[in-house]
Amino acid sequence: MRVVVAEDLFLLRDGLTRLLSAHDFEIAAAVDTAPGLLCALLEHRPDIAVVDVRLPPAFADDGLQAALAARRKVPGLPVLLLSQYVEQLYARELLADQAGAVGYLLKDRVFSDDQFVDAIRTVAAGGTVMDPEVVTKLLGRRSHDEPIARLSAREREVLGLMAEGRSNTAIAQRLFVTEKAVSKHTTSIFTKLGLAADQDDNRRVLAVLAYLNS
Amino acid sequence: MASRAGPGHDSSMWILITLLWRIMGRLLRRLGRGALLVPVAAMGMALAGVHIWTVALVLIALVVAFRKPLLAAALLPLSMVSAGLAGLVVAALTPGGTVGWVVNAVLAKPQAWFASPAKPGTLVHSGKVGSPVSWVVGGDGPVPWPPWVRLEVRPGKMAMLGQVLPVKPMVPPHAGHVIAMGAATKAAGWWQGRLLVPVALLLLTLGLWLASRMLAGLGARMAALLPELHRWLAKNRWALLLVPVVAVAMAAFGAHPWTIAVIIAAIIIVIRWPVIAADLVPVVLAVLAAYGFLIAANWQDAPAAIYPHAMPYGMVWVNGPKSALAAGAEASVFLAFGAWLVPRTIGAHLRTVFVRVPDTDLAGRVQRLTETRGHAVDAAAAELRRIERDLHDGAQARLVALGMNLRAVERVLPGSPNAALALVAEARETSVRALNELRNLIRGICPPVLADRGLGHAVQALALDTPLPTTLEIDLPGRPTPPVESACYFAVAEALANAVKHAGARSAQIRIRHAAGLLRIEVSDDGIGGADPALGTGLLGVERRLGTFDGILAVNSPPGGPTMVVMEVPCVLSSPKTSSC
Repeated sequence: MRVVVAEDLFLLRDGLTRLLSAHDFEIAAAVDTAPGLLCALLEHRPDIAVVDVRLPPAFADDGLQAALAARRKVPGLPVLLLSQYVEQLYARELLADQAGAVGYLLKDRVFSDDQFVDAIRTVAAGGTVMDPEVVTKLLGRRSHDEPIARLSAREREVLGLMAEGRSNTAIAQRLFVTEKAVSKHTTSIFTKLGLAADQDDNRRVLAVLAYLNS
Repeated sequence: MASRAGPGHDSSMWILITLLWRIMGRLLRRLGRGALLVPVAAMGMALAGVHIWTVALVLIALVVAFRKPLLAAALLPLSMVSAGLAGLVVAALTPGGTVGWVVNAVLAKPQAWFASPAKPGTLVHSGKVGSPVSWVVGGDGPVPWPPWVRLEVRPGKMAMLGQVLPVKPMVPPHAGHVIAMGAATKAAGWWQGRLLVPVALLLLTLGLWLASRMLAGLGARMAALLPELHRWLAKNRWALLLVPVVAVAMAAFGAHPWTIAVIIAAIIIVIRWPVIAADLVPVVLAVLAAYGFLIAANWQDAPAAIYPHAMPYGMVWVNGPKSALAAGAEASVFLAFGAWLVPRTIGAHLRTVFVRVPDTDLAGRVQRLTETRGHAVDAAAAELRRIERDLHDGAQARLVALGMNLRAVERVLPGSPNAALALVAEARETSVRALNELRNLIRGICPPVLADRGLGHAVQALALDTPLPTTLEIDLPGRPTPPVESACYFAVAEALANAVKHAGARSAQIRIRHAAGLLRIEVSDDGIGGADPALGTGLLGVERRLGTFDGILAVNSPPGGPTMVVMEVPCVLSSPKTSSC
């Protein structure tokens, strides 16, 4: 799997490329500026881009802007954003094109490399991975918003874990229930959110979008 | 057939009238009452005839109605009254008209005029009631027609209303003789026919009614302006003297276009530049006095044959050596008055320019700046202490623990790798916590979205993070300076936090807009109210922080709610793309 890494701090960039190489990713390019990122994305068309939000030249949200620009030119280009902080506003902007294949994680999540690599693979496969901090904040509010309000507490919990990019198996392990029970919950979630029963992956993305955009 | 055509005709008329009424109503709603000025002016034009100046007047009315609706509304009663009066006058003078009949019956002479020679270039009235009325023109050259007369000179040719009519003489032109004769008909059309008198009366009534209302409004406005006027007078009383002084000076030269222009210029200077006007008064007085001395001197030694022309000087009519002496005496009075005025006008103004006098406004400003600077320094110091404490108790302590953990790993690794593994996991956990604390600290110093995107987006992010449905109305075409942005952001954050924590609100509303150099932020909620900046430290802190930028905070929070916090900060916005925190 070919990866473009964008990170301006040398130590972190080096660490990321080494970590990814160790997990059999092929580093197509490792860049340190937002314009460089946009060029690399359009040139290499990687399977996934791992991007720091704050990049030169402005050291603001240049990385996010470059990733969004690339996704406007190459719809659905998988992008995993890393940041020292997570903002719901940015999560929404990432999700706005409804194409899926986006992730938004705190840089700390790199510490547990297995979960991090799982997240990369999920995003590359078209899934959506949101940092637990985004999900936690969402759980804390909008209890009376439609149509999420129709979900039971357990279903909301399952949906939250789906938003973090977890598979049914992982959710079952986390909640100490059988995978069948999780599958029952997800079907119920899809029904309550009015999502047609076609591709399971796509429905997961749409459910998460409905959740995050509620 | 005719009976069937009748109702159809009626209904289409009604549709037309309704349509016109709708269009009129919409126009009036859009343009205001002043738009009526145009039809009233058009009626006036119909009375006075189509003329370059009448057309120009209607065009001016059109421009005024569209560009200056307020002025048009003010002019409307005046134009209505004058159009109504003009209509009545026309009705009175129209031969064959209702009023004209009365006037003619009372005033008109018998038909003896035919024989009497007319003065050259004048119109001789027929005095005959009814139509057709004969008119006779006396004298040669163009005859100025009264505007309301239509004179049929020859069959098929009719003089326009108000036109100067070049008539072909019926007899050779000779002063005092009848040179043309025609039939003056009752003017055609409804306007000068039966409807003239009622419409004129209606216009007059409406105009008077509107005028009375306008005068009442004017009175109220004058009452509101009176204190302002008093202040202006107290400050610029000497400036007012410029107009009479200049008028007296100009009277010596008689009424000419240029003297009138000078007086008008003096009035304009008094209104626009009162300080300069006050300074000009002694100067003009000195020049006037010099001129008076000159007059006095000229009259004394001039031989009688070449005496200068008699002229007014002030209150003296100079036509001889004695009155010239009086003018000289008056000139000395002018000069003395001018000299007395110098320290009160020019001198006083020069003092304000060159000598710094204690200014109470300035002193208040200095005091306010001293206060807000003190608050700003205190707040900055407190903030630094908080950051230092947070770093010391948080990240720094975690790093120490991390180092100790790693040291322990070094120790136990050779002996028991499992224990080492547990210690490493613990160290990783500690580093995550340290990062979390640093992140929260940074968010408290300068929130990332605020730095990246500015106030609008940061408030949007804040609303997303608030467990309260919050509606936003943000109109910010650019970014304020980073310190203002930061102060405003934390002010909004404080107000929102209060709505959540203390007010028990169910929803909140944030409005941000920038207009005329003022950033205005409103945060309102539907909670229980009762917020008071004097009771809690939060809003007081916000007030002080905004005060550093001359901003103000107003809280309206009656017990029982709702609460509205309004913040205003004077600031300029930079263009959206070039700035960053």
